[in-house]
Parts: sequence; C-alpha cells; structure tokens
Amino acid sequence: MPGWKLSSPNIPSVIQRYGLAVLSVAIALGIGLLLERSHFHDVEFPLFLLAIVVTVWYAGVGPGILAVVLSSLAFDFFFTEPIYSLYVSRSELPYYVVFILFALLLTWFSAVRRRAERDLLQSRDELEQEVAIRTQQASLLNLTHDTIFVRDMSDVITYWNRGAQELYGWTAVEAIGKRSHDLLRTVFPAPLDDIAADLLRTGRWEGELEKTKSDGTRVVVASRWSLQRNDQRIPIAILETNNDITERKRGEEEVRKLNQELGKRTIDLEAINKELEAFAYSISHDLRAPLRHMVGFTELLQKNASSVVDEKGRRYMSTILESAKRMGTLIDDLLAFSRIGRAEARESVVNLEELVKEVQSEVAQEAEGRNITWKLTPLPDLYGDRSMLKLALVNLLSNAIKFTRPRPQPEIEVGCAEKQNDRIVMFVRDNGVGFDMKYANKLFGVFQRLHRAEEFEGTGIGLATVQRIIRRHGGEVWAEGFVDKGATFFFSVPSQRR
Amino acid sequence: MELLGRILMVEDDPKDVELALNALGEYNLTNEVIVTSDGEEALDYLYHRGKFQTRTNGNPAVRLLDLKLPKVDGLEVLQQVKSDEKLRMIPVVVLTSSREERDMVASYKLGVNAYVVKPVDFHEFVNAIKELGVFWAIINEAPPGSIKRK
Repeated sequence: MPGWKLSSPNIPSVIQRYGLAVLSVAIALGIGLLLERSHFHDVEFPLFLLAIVVTVWYAGVGPGILAVVLSSLAFDFFFTEPIYSLYVSRSELPYYVVFILFALLLTWFSAVRRRAERDLLQSRDELEQEVAIRTQQASLLNLTHDTIFVRDMSDVITYWNRGAQELYGWTAVEAIGKRSHDLLRTVFPAPLDDIAADLLRTGRWEGELEKTKSDGTRVVVASRWSLQRNDQRIPIAILETNNDITERKRGEEEVRKLNQELGKRTIDLEAINKELEAFAYSISHDLRAPLRHMVGFTELLQKNASSVVDEKGRRYMSTILESAKRMGTLIDDLLAFSRIGRAEARESVVNLEELVKEVQSEVAQEAEGRNITWKLTPLPDLYGDRSMLKLALVNLLSNAIKFTRPRPQPEIEVGCAEKQNDRIVMFVRDNGVGFDMKYANKLFGVFQRLHRAEEFEGTGIGLATVQRIIRRHGGEVWAEGFVDKGATFFFSVPSQRR
Repeated sequence: MELLGRILMVEDDPKDVELALNALGEYNLTNEVIVTSDGEEALDYLYHRGKFQTRTNGNPAVRLLDLKLPKVDGLEVLQQVKSDEKLRMIPVVVLTSSREERDMVASYKLGVNAYVVKPVDFHEFVNAIKELGVFWAIINEAPPGSIKRK
C-alpha cells in the first residue's frame, strides 16, 4: 500500500504491534481487577472488548486475534468460576463462546473499517499528488510562449495555454469547448482523413497549417500533433503545438521569387553569351574571307598589272594591302580579347618570377638591336590562370618595349609593390614616353589609343585585354605616368585560391 | 611523269576557288581539280548522283573541304563520308577560315586527316594551297581505287 506508506512514514514494527496487543489486554485486565476489588462487577467484559478494538485499530488483525486469545484466557482465568483456573464450567461455556464470537466479530469489523479508511486515505493522497503535478504542468505550459492546446477526439478544445491566447487572440475561457478547426479555420496541406490516419498510426503528425486569428489575419504555423491514449490504448486527446512561421514563409517566398528571377536572368545571360559567341564565330569565319580576297586580288593585280599602273596606282595598291593586313590583326586581337571572357580559367599556383622571365625572353625579340636595361626583382607566387597571366604580362612588357623606343637608354622594371596576406600588387615600370594622367581612364578601353598610329603601332586592345584578365582574377589594374617621364602599370591579384 | 591524284574541292566561295585554282595552276594541277560548291553537290559527286551520274569511276585522291557550306555543311559531309565503308579511306582535309577550337575538335573527332586554317595573308594562302595540292595529289600515296593520271 504505497499511498499509505507515503502518508504514514512511522510503520510500527511487528514487536510494537504485538506488544500493543499484550499491553492493551494487560491494562484492561489490570483495570478490571482493580475495579473488581472496589466491588464493581461485570466491567471486565467491555474492558477486554475495548482493548481488542484498540489493538485491531492501531495494530491490525494479527495482534487483534492475539488480543482476543489473551483476553479470552485472562477472562477465563480471573473472572469466570472457578477463578484462577483455565477450566470453563459447562454453565459458563455459552457466555464464554459469545464473548469470543463477539470479540472476533468486532475484530473483523474494525479490520474492514480500518482497511477502507486506509484505502480512502491512499486515494486522497494520490489524488492530491496528481492534482499537484497537473497544476504544476499546467502552469509550466502556461509559462511557455509556444502555442499549445489540447483537443479531444471530436476536435473540441479542452486546454488552451497562454501562448495560444497570445497567438490567436482568444482566451482559454473563449476557446475551450469550441471545435479547433472551426475556431481557427484551419487549412490543411492534405486531406484531414489522411492526416488523422497518419496520426493514429504513428501517434504524431507534423506539418504546416494555415490558421486564422481572432482579428481575421491569416498565419502560417508549423504544427506538431501528439496523440494521447488512455490505459486501454484508446486515443483520447490530441496535443497540438503551433509555431508562427508566417514571417519565415514570407522570407522564403521572397527568396524563391528572387531565385526564380535570378534563374531567368542567368538564362537570359546565357542566351546573350551564346549570341556573342555566335557573333565572334561569324567574325572569325566571315570577315576573314573578304579580307583574303582583298589581299589576294590586290596582289594578283600587283603581279599582273604593275607595268600598266603608274607610281600612284602602285601606292594605292600597297595601301589597300596594308589596311587589309591591319584589319586582319584587329580581328585576331578582338577575337583573343573576347575569348578571355569565354574561356574557362584553369587556376593553379603560378611561379611569377619564372613567368616574367619567360615572357621577357619572348618579347625581347621585339627589342632587337636595342640595349634595354631590365630590372627584375624577386617575385612571390600567386594563384591564377597561368596562360592568361602570361598574356597580360606579354601585353604589359611589349608595351614597355614599344613606348621606350625613342629612349637611348631604355629601362624596364618588373617588381612587387605590395604583398599582403590575400593579395599581391605587381608593377611594370618604364622610362618611355609616358602619358598624360588626365587620359588615365581611357588607357584600358577597347580601341582606345593615346598615340597616333605613325608614332606607335597598335590596335588599342592590349591594355583592355590586361584589364579583362586581371578582373577575371578578382584584381584591379591602374596606371601612373607623366608625359615623357615614363609610365608604371600596377595590377593586383589574389595570392591565394579565392 | 608521276601519277597525279584528283582533288575534290568543296568550296562555296568562287573567289577562294579562283585564288586556289590560280595557285594550283603553277604546278599544272588545275585540270585535276573538281569543284563542288556545296555539301550536297560534293556528296552527289562521291555517290555518282545528280549531275555526276555519268562521271568516270574512281575516287578523288583527296577532298579539300570547307566547313561553312550551303545546304549540307562541311561537318555533315565529313560525318557522312567517314561513316561510309567505301568512302572513309579517301583523305579529307578541312580547309576553313575558322580558327575556332570547337570546329577543330569536331573535325578531328569525325576523323579528318588534316585541318588547315586558310591564311589571311594571300602569300601564305597561296603557299598553303600549293603545298596541300603537291602533298595530297603527288607525294602522298592515295588509297586504292583513286583516279590517277600520268
């Protein structure tokens, strides 16, 4: 009897219980003998019964029976004729039997009564405990800001916490007793029968539901249902927790829309890119042929008709040839330039010092016969597409060679201006003709030239190519210069993998 | 005199044809050149169809093939002849203005024997045509079944 044990921590030991039997009978006997001496007769009978009742009440049935036995013996020995003998005379026997029966009956009644009382006490204790736990749980559930409510199997709300009131606007008094789906105008993502089947099978369900607050605004909630079953495994209630995810859903929807737009733009860009590629292809294919014909037939003309054409005519022919060749170079440069944008970058660690030496020896033939002083300082490694970086360096170094042509003692320096953790700034400096800083922004434009063709040849694509390559590497390119005082071209590149 | 192989030139640009024939004329190879101006006509020649129904038997020693052609383009012609058991042995040289990598890769994948970019410079163009003519019509041993003339 756990409940009884809980409420009565002092359980009497066996000795105490049987001692009580002996003690109560002894006291009854003592009082009986005292009263007899004072000539009060026939009080022993109720005294012994009282002792038995007290014993049964406080010590249980076993000690009670002991008390009955002891009382019977004492009664027999001290109060029935012959006195001071355990002998029971025939005439006293019925009286004696009635006493024992009466005592036993009393014992039994007391025991039953006692047991009933104990059971009652136990139930009361259990109930009190249950109530305490429930009250605690309910107040805990009320503490949380999460929306929690309980509904029975016919969807009638039986519990409604403070979070539910905060989210939906109805108080517990208003909500309890109403059907939750009607009250909240719930919109389900799947047929309710399917959800119910799921819930009955697994004991839980979760999903996103659309519900309506008391003020009529719609909310999207992440909803979790748990099925409560009774001892017979029969479903009796559903505990539902809701979290307002309206804002999150709105955010997600916005992200989705943005992504969609982005996807569309990417497709548009891809289409434009394809168009550009087709354009570049048609340039490479279609513009070359007429160019070749111009050159071809002009040369045939030179070969077959130069005797009938005068000096002027011959000059015209050579001008046609020159222009055609120049156009060929322009087409080649433009195509190379457009390829930088389209080609896939193959990035790796690049030994810059080695690369600069390689480029220098390649472009040196452009400077044949000239005594150029090269200053190459140690350079760090960097991360990038080697062939693209090489093209950029070829352009920068051949520019330096070209624009130092009027100098009797040309000097070209390649070095590292700045080295940080994540980027390197390189420079190529020459003592050539330089440029006016007010045109610095035009240096890197396609077809932009700061010199006349007679002074310095070129297509105006070289520095645009350099800029495109460096930007593809995530860097920048800029220049400093003064007229007749040389120029310095800087470019920054990341030193590590991006 | 050495044996001369016949050259099938597939080229839609009459100016290029004229320049090429002019170049080949220096080696007296002009008479051995059959010019077809599109892919369909080239296939007609190879399969003895259409206006080539009654041509003499035998295959050309080499085909000079432009890529950008009306009707059936160069890559399609290449694909067809290289998948035909009877025609696949005839060497094919792609002669095109296109320097595009994808054209080159596609041509080699289809089994082209050489890929020549038409030089923009006329001298280089003339030299390239001459060398091609000499190599494929004279130096190279054409596969069996090719038309040859003493």
